[in-house]
Amino acid sequence: MEDSPLHPFELHNFLSIHLGGLDISLNKAVIMMWVVVGLVTILMIKAGSARQLIPGKLQSLGEILVDFIRGIILDTMGKDGMRFFPLIATLFLFILFCNLIGLIPGSYTVTSQIVVTAVFACVVYGMSVVMGFVLHGAKFLGILVPPGTPGWLLPLMVPIELISQLARPISLAVRLFANMTAGHVILGVLFGLAVSGGLLIGWLPFAFTIAMNGLEVGIAFIQAYIFTVLTCVYLGDAFHLHGSEDHAH
Amino acid sequence: MPPSQDPFYAGLGQAVRIGTELLAALIVGGGIGWVVDTYLLATGPWGMVSGLILGSVAGVRNAYRSAQRWPKS
Repeated sequence: MEDSPLHPFELHNFLSIHLGGLDISLNKAVIMMWVVVGLVTILMIKAGSARQLIPGKLQSLGEILVDFIRGIILDTMGKDGMRFFPLIATLFLFILFCNLIGLIPGSYTVTSQIVVTAVFACVVYGMSVVMGFVLHGAKFLGILVPPGTPGWLLPLMVPIELISQLARPISLAVRLFANMTAGHVILGVLFGLAVSGGLLIGWLPFAFTIAMNGLEVGIAFIQAYIFTVLTCVYLGDAFHLHGSEDHAH
Repeated sequence: MPPSQDPFYAGLGQAVRIGTELLAALIVGGGIGWVVDTYLLATGPWGMVSGLILGSVAGVRNAYRSAQRWPKS
Protein backbone atom coordinates (compact mmCIF):
# COMPACT_ATOMS: atom_id res chain seq x y z
CA MET A 1 0.00 0.00 0.00
CA GLU A 2 1.35 3.40 -0.93
CA ASP A 3 1.93 5.61 2.08
CA SER A 4 1.57 8.96 0.30
CA PRO A 5 -1.18 10.11 -2.05
CA LEU A 6 1.54 11.78 -4.14
CA HIS A 7 3.18 8.42 -4.73
CA PRO A 8 1.51 7.85 -8.14
CA PHE A 9 3.16 11.01 -9.51
CA GLU A 10 6.70 9.79 -8.91
CA LEU A 11 8.49 8.71 -12.05
CA HIS A 12 10.85 5.77 -12.14
CA ASN A 13 13.06 5.14 -15.13
CA PHE A 14 12.42 1.91 -16.97
CA LEU A 15 15.51 2.42 -19.05
CA SER A 16 18.22 4.94 -18.30
CA ILE A 17 19.59 6.63 -21.40
CA HIS A 18 22.10 9.47 -21.13
CA LEU A 19 23.16 11.14 -24.33
CA GLY A 20 25.95 13.67 -23.94
CA GLY A 21 24.75 14.98 -20.58
CA LEU A 22 21.14 14.91 -21.74
CA ASP A 23 18.84 12.65 -19.74
CA ILE A 24 16.45 10.98 -22.17
CA SER A 25 15.53 8.04 -19.97
CA LEU A 26 12.33 6.19 -20.66
CA ASN A 27 9.69 6.44 -17.97
CA LYS A 28 5.92 6.13 -17.60
CA ALA A 29 5.26 9.71 -18.72
CA VAL A 30 7.29 9.39 -21.93
CA ILE A 31 5.58 6.16 -22.87
CA MET A 32 2.13 7.61 -22.12
CA MET A 33 2.94 10.57 -24.37
CA TRP A 34 3.82 8.20 -27.19
CA VAL A 35 0.58 6.30 -26.58
CA VAL A 36 -1.45 9.54 -26.70
CA VAL A 37 0.29 10.80 -29.83
CA GLY A 38 -0.23 7.45 -31.55
CA LEU A 39 -3.86 7.25 -30.49
CA VAL A 40 -4.74 10.78 -31.62
CA THR A 41 -2.93 10.30 -34.92
CA ILE A 42 -4.64 6.99 -35.69
CA LEU A 43 -8.04 8.36 -34.62
CA MET A 44 -7.84 11.50 -36.74
CA ILE A 45 -6.39 9.70 -39.79
CA LYS A 46 -9.09 7.03 -39.60
CA ALA A 47 -11.81 9.63 -39.06
CA GLY A 48 -10.51 11.74 -41.91
CA SER A 49 -10.04 8.98 -44.43
CA ALA A 50 -13.71 7.96 -44.65
CA ARG A 51 -14.95 11.19 -46.33
CA GLN A 52 -18.55 10.10 -46.61
CA LEU A 53 -21.46 12.44 -47.12
CA ILE A 54 -23.34 10.68 -44.34
CA PRO A 55 -20.63 10.31 -41.69
CA GLY A 56 -20.12 7.12 -39.75
CA LYS A 57 -19.46 7.06 -36.01
CA LEU A 58 -15.73 7.73 -36.24
CA GLN A 59 -16.11 10.41 -38.89
CA SER A 60 -18.78 12.17 -36.80
CA LEU A 61 -16.44 12.20 -33.82
CA GLY A 62 -13.68 13.70 -35.94
CA GLU A 63 -16.03 16.27 -37.40
CA ILE A 64 -17.34 17.27 -33.96
CA LEU A 65 -13.79 17.73 -32.65
CA VAL A 66 -12.60 19.74 -35.65
CA ASP A 67 -15.75 21.86 -35.70
CA PHE A 68 -15.41 22.49 -31.96
CA ILE A 69 -11.82 23.72 -32.30
CA ARG A 70 -12.79 25.82 -35.31
CA GLY A 71 -15.57 27.39 -33.21
CA ILE A 72 -13.13 28.31 -30.44
CA ILE A 73 -10.75 29.96 -32.91
CA LEU A 74 -13.48 31.90 -34.71
CA ASP A 75 -14.96 33.07 -31.38
CA THR A 76 -11.70 34.37 -29.95
CA MET A 77 -9.51 35.38 -32.89
CA GLY A 78 -11.83 35.86 -35.82
CA LYS A 79 -11.18 34.59 -39.32
CA ASP A 80 -7.46 35.50 -39.29
CA GLY A 81 -6.92 32.98 -36.53
CA MET A 82 -7.59 30.02 -38.79
CA ARG A 83 -3.92 30.01 -39.83
CA PHE A 84 -3.12 28.75 -36.33
CA PHE A 85 -5.59 25.89 -36.63
CA PRO A 86 -2.95 23.11 -36.87
CA LEU A 87 -1.13 24.27 -33.73
CA ILE A 88 -4.28 24.81 -31.70
CA ALA A 89 -5.92 21.58 -32.79
CA THR A 90 -2.78 19.62 -31.91
CA LEU A 91 -2.56 21.24 -28.48
CA PHE A 92 -6.25 20.66 -27.74
CA LEU A 93 -6.31 17.03 -28.85
CA PHE A 94 -3.06 16.18 -27.06
CA ILE A 95 -4.13 17.76 -23.76
CA LEU A 96 -7.65 16.35 -23.96
CA PHE A 97 -6.44 12.81 -24.60
CA CYS A 98 -3.72 13.06 -21.94
CA ASN A 99 -6.33 14.15 -19.41
CA LEU A 100 -8.88 11.53 -20.40
CA ILE A 101 -6.51 8.57 -20.73
CA GLY A 102 -4.94 9.46 -17.39
CA LEU A 103 -8.29 8.71 -15.75
CA ILE A 104 -8.06 5.03 -16.68
CA PRO A 105 -6.83 3.31 -13.51
CA GLY A 106 -3.24 2.13 -13.85
CA SER A 107 -2.31 4.62 -16.56
CA TYR A 108 -0.49 7.89 -16.07
CA THR A 109 -1.60 11.51 -16.49
CA VAL A 110 1.14 13.28 -18.41
CA THR A 111 -0.42 16.69 -17.77
CA SER A 112 0.04 16.23 -14.00
CA GLN A 113 3.75 16.95 -14.53
CA ILE A 114 4.37 20.70 -14.39
CA VAL A 115 7.29 20.30 -16.81
CA VAL A 116 4.90 19.28 -19.57
CA THR A 117 2.36 22.04 -18.98
CA ALA A 118 5.09 24.65 -18.48
CA VAL A 119 6.66 23.75 -21.82
CA PHE A 120 3.28 24.11 -23.53
CA ALA A 121 2.67 27.45 -21.83
CA CYS A 122 6.14 28.77 -22.69
CA VAL A 123 5.80 27.71 -26.32
CA VAL A 124 2.40 29.39 -26.61
CA TYR A 125 3.42 32.57 -24.82
CA GLY A 126 6.84 32.79 -26.48
CA MET A 127 5.17 32.38 -29.84
CA SER A 128 2.69 35.18 -29.12
CA VAL A 129 5.50 37.54 -28.07
CA VAL A 130 7.67 36.73 -31.09
CA MET A 131 4.72 37.05 -33.41
CA GLY A 132 3.74 40.38 -31.85
CA PHE A 133 7.21 41.84 -32.41
CA VAL A 134 7.41 40.45 -35.96
CA LEU A 135 4.00 41.82 -36.92
CA HIS A 136 4.02 45.16 -35.08
CA GLY A 137 7.68 45.88 -34.35
CA ALA A 138 8.31 48.24 -31.44
CA LYS A 139 4.63 49.19 -31.43
CA PHE A 140 4.01 45.81 -29.75
CA LEU A 141 5.38 47.34 -26.53
CA GLY A 142 2.16 49.35 -26.51
CA ILE A 143 0.56 46.21 -25.07
CA LEU A 144 2.07 47.37 -21.76
CA VAL A 145 0.03 50.58 -21.89
CA PRO A 146 -3.72 50.07 -21.68
CA PRO A 147 -5.60 52.38 -24.05
CA GLY A 148 -6.69 55.64 -22.43
CA THR A 149 -4.02 55.76 -19.70
CA PRO A 150 -3.14 59.31 -18.59
CA GLY A 151 0.59 60.09 -18.75
CA TRP A 152 1.16 60.54 -15.02
CA LEU A 153 -0.09 57.00 -14.36
CA LEU A 154 2.46 55.40 -16.68
CA PRO A 155 5.14 54.63 -14.01
CA LEU A 156 2.48 52.67 -12.12
CA MET A 157 0.65 51.04 -15.01
CA VAL A 158 3.66 49.72 -16.93
CA PRO A 159 4.96 47.51 -14.06
CA ILE A 160 1.44 46.28 -13.38
CA GLU A 161 0.88 45.41 -17.02
CA LEU A 162 4.32 43.80 -17.20
CA ILE A 163 3.48 41.57 -14.25
CA SER A 164 0.08 40.71 -15.63
CA GLN A 165 1.69 39.78 -18.95
CA LEU A 166 4.33 37.62 -17.25
CA ALA A 167 1.61 35.97 -15.19
CA ARG A 168 -0.01 34.58 -18.34
CA PRO A 169 2.30 31.62 -19.01
CA ILE A 170 2.44 30.83 -15.29
CA SER A 171 -1.32 30.80 -14.87
CA LEU A 172 -1.61 28.70 -18.03
CA ALA A 173 0.87 26.11 -16.77
CA VAL A 174 -0.20 26.06 -13.13
CA ARG A 175 -3.92 25.80 -13.88
CA LEU A 176 -3.68 22.63 -15.95
CA PHE A 177 -1.05 21.03 -13.72
CA ALA A 178 -2.84 21.86 -10.45
CA ASN A 179 -6.25 20.72 -11.62
CA MET A 180 -5.03 17.38 -12.90
CA THR A 181 -2.80 16.72 -9.88
CA ALA A 182 -5.45 17.73 -7.35
CA GLY A 183 -8.07 15.53 -8.98
CA HIS A 184 -5.81 12.51 -8.90
CA VAL A 185 -4.73 13.16 -5.32
CA ILE A 186 -8.39 13.24 -4.26
CA LEU A 187 -9.03 10.01 -6.12
CA GLY A 188 -5.97 8.46 -4.47
CA VAL A 189 -7.03 9.53 -0.97
CA LEU A 190 -10.59 8.29 -1.43
CA PHE A 191 -9.41 4.99 -2.81
CA GLY A 192 -6.97 4.62 0.08
CA LEU A 193 -9.88 5.16 2.48
CA ALA A 194 -11.94 2.58 0.62
CA VAL A 195 -9.18 -0.02 0.85
CA SER A 196 -8.37 0.63 4.51
CA GLY A 197 -12.01 0.91 5.58
CA GLY A 198 -12.93 -2.67 4.83
CA LEU A 199 -16.32 -3.85 3.59
CA LEU A 200 -18.38 -2.40 6.44
CA ILE A 201 -17.69 1.28 5.75
CA GLY A 202 -15.36 1.14 2.74
CA TRP A 203 -18.19 1.15 0.19
CA LEU A 204 -18.89 4.81 1.01
CA PRO A 205 -15.54 6.28 -0.12
CA PHE A 206 -15.57 3.80 -2.99
CA ALA A 207 -18.89 5.24 -4.20
CA PHE A 208 -17.32 8.69 -3.94
CA THR A 209 -14.37 7.53 -6.07
CA ILE A 210 -16.79 6.62 -8.82
CA ALA A 211 -18.59 9.96 -8.54
CA MET A 212 -15.27 11.83 -8.52
CA ASN A 213 -14.13 9.96 -11.59
CA GLY A 214 -17.24 11.19 -13.38
CA LEU A 215 -16.48 14.74 -12.28
CA GLU A 216 -12.87 14.35 -13.39
CA VAL A 217 -14.01 13.50 -16.91
CA GLY A 218 -15.74 16.88 -16.97
CA ILE A 219 -12.66 18.59 -15.53
CA ALA A 220 -10.44 16.90 -18.12
CA PHE A 221 -12.60 18.33 -20.87
CA ILE A 222 -12.88 21.80 -19.33
CA GLN A 223 -9.14 22.12 -18.68
CA ALA A 224 -8.30 21.19 -22.26
CA TYR A 225 -10.95 23.67 -23.42
CA ILE A 226 -9.63 26.51 -21.23
CA PHE A 227 -6.04 25.91 -22.27
CA THR A 228 -7.10 26.12 -25.90
CA VAL A 229 -9.26 29.21 -25.42
CA LEU A 230 -6.47 31.04 -23.60
CA THR A 231 -3.96 30.03 -26.27
CA CYS A 232 -6.28 31.61 -28.82
CA VAL A 233 -6.79 34.71 -26.67
CA TYR A 234 -3.05 35.26 -26.16
CA LEU A 235 -2.22 34.69 -29.81
CA GLY A 236 -5.12 36.95 -30.77
CA ASP A 237 -3.86 39.69 -28.42
CA ALA A 238 -0.50 39.68 -30.16
CA PHE A 239 -2.21 39.56 -33.52
CA HIS A 240 -4.71 42.37 -33.13
CA LEU A 241 -2.99 44.59 -30.52
CA HIS A 242 -5.75 46.00 -28.26
CA GLY A 243 -8.44 44.96 -30.72
CA SER A 244 -8.96 41.56 -29.17
CA GLU A 245 -11.43 42.62 -26.48
CA ASP A 246 -13.93 43.45 -29.20
CA HIS A 247 -13.27 40.13 -30.87
CA ALA A 248 -14.10 38.16 -27.76
CA HIS A 249 -17.83 38.11 -28.50
CA MET B 1 -21.11 17.24 -26.52
CA PRO B 2 -19.69 20.55 -27.67
CA PRO B 3 -19.53 22.44 -24.36
CA SER B 4 -18.97 25.82 -25.93
CA GLN B 5 -22.70 25.91 -26.67
CA ASP B 6 -23.59 24.70 -23.19
CA PRO B 7 -23.85 27.69 -20.80
CA PHE B 8 -23.07 25.45 -17.82
CA TYR B 9 -19.68 24.41 -19.19
CA ALA B 10 -18.87 27.86 -20.50
CA GLY B 11 -19.62 29.36 -17.08
CA LEU B 12 -17.68 26.67 -15.27
CA GLY B 13 -14.72 27.26 -17.56
CA GLN B 14 -14.75 30.98 -16.75
CA ALA B 15 -15.07 30.32 -13.02
CA VAL B 16 -12.11 27.94 -12.98
CA ARG B 17 -9.97 30.53 -14.77
CA ILE B 18 -10.25 33.41 -12.35
CA GLY B 19 -8.73 31.77 -9.26
CA THR B 20 -5.43 30.93 -10.93
CA GLU B 21 -5.45 34.32 -12.65
CA LEU B 22 -5.21 35.97 -9.22
CA LEU B 23 -2.59 33.53 -7.95
CA ALA B 24 -0.24 33.63 -10.92
CA ALA B 25 0.17 37.41 -10.91
CA LEU B 26 0.90 37.31 -7.17
CA ILE B 27 3.60 34.67 -7.73
CA VAL B 28 5.19 36.71 -10.52
CA GLY B 29 5.08 39.99 -8.59
CA GLY B 30 6.47 38.48 -5.41
CA GLY B 31 9.10 36.59 -7.39
CA ILE B 32 10.33 39.70 -9.20
CA GLY B 33 10.49 41.58 -5.91
CA TRP B 34 12.42 38.76 -4.26
CA VAL B 35 14.94 38.59 -7.11
CA VAL B 36 15.43 42.37 -6.95
CA ASP B 37 15.98 42.16 -3.17
CA THR B 38 18.41 39.26 -3.09
CA TYR B 39 20.40 39.55 -6.31
CA LEU B 40 20.14 43.03 -7.79
CA LEU B 41 19.80 45.60 -5.02
CA ALA B 42 20.07 45.05 -1.30
CA THR B 43 16.78 46.80 -0.61
CA GLY B 44 15.73 44.77 2.40
CA PRO B 45 12.18 43.50 2.28
CA TRP B 46 10.84 46.47 0.34
CA GLY B 47 11.32 45.04 -3.15
CA MET B 48 9.28 41.98 -2.30
CA VAL B 49 6.64 44.01 -0.46
CA SER B 50 6.08 46.35 -3.38
CA GLY B 51 6.33 43.40 -5.78
CA LEU B 52 3.56 41.59 -3.91
CA ILE B 53 1.39 44.72 -3.90
CA LEU B 54 1.91 45.30 -7.62
CA GLY B 55 1.34 41.58 -8.22
CA SER B 56 -1.98 41.58 -6.41
CA VAL B 57 -3.06 44.66 -8.37
CA ALA B 58 -2.09 42.93 -11.59
CA GLY B 59 -3.93 39.80 -10.47
CA VAL B 60 -7.15 41.70 -9.82
CA ARG B 61 -6.72 43.40 -13.18
CA ASN B 62 -6.29 40.04 -14.92
CA ALA B 63 -9.33 38.61 -13.17
CA TYR B 64 -11.34 41.70 -14.09
CA ARG B 65 -10.21 41.41 -17.68
CA SER B 66 -11.18 37.76 -17.96
CA ALA B 67 -14.54 38.52 -16.32
CA GLN B 68 -15.17 41.08 -19.05
CA ARG B 69 -15.14 38.22 -21.53
CA TRP B 70 -17.95 36.52 -19.62
CA PRO B 71 -20.13 34.56 -22.03
CA LYS B 72 -23.66 35.83 -22.40
CA SER B 73 -26.04 33.15 -21.15
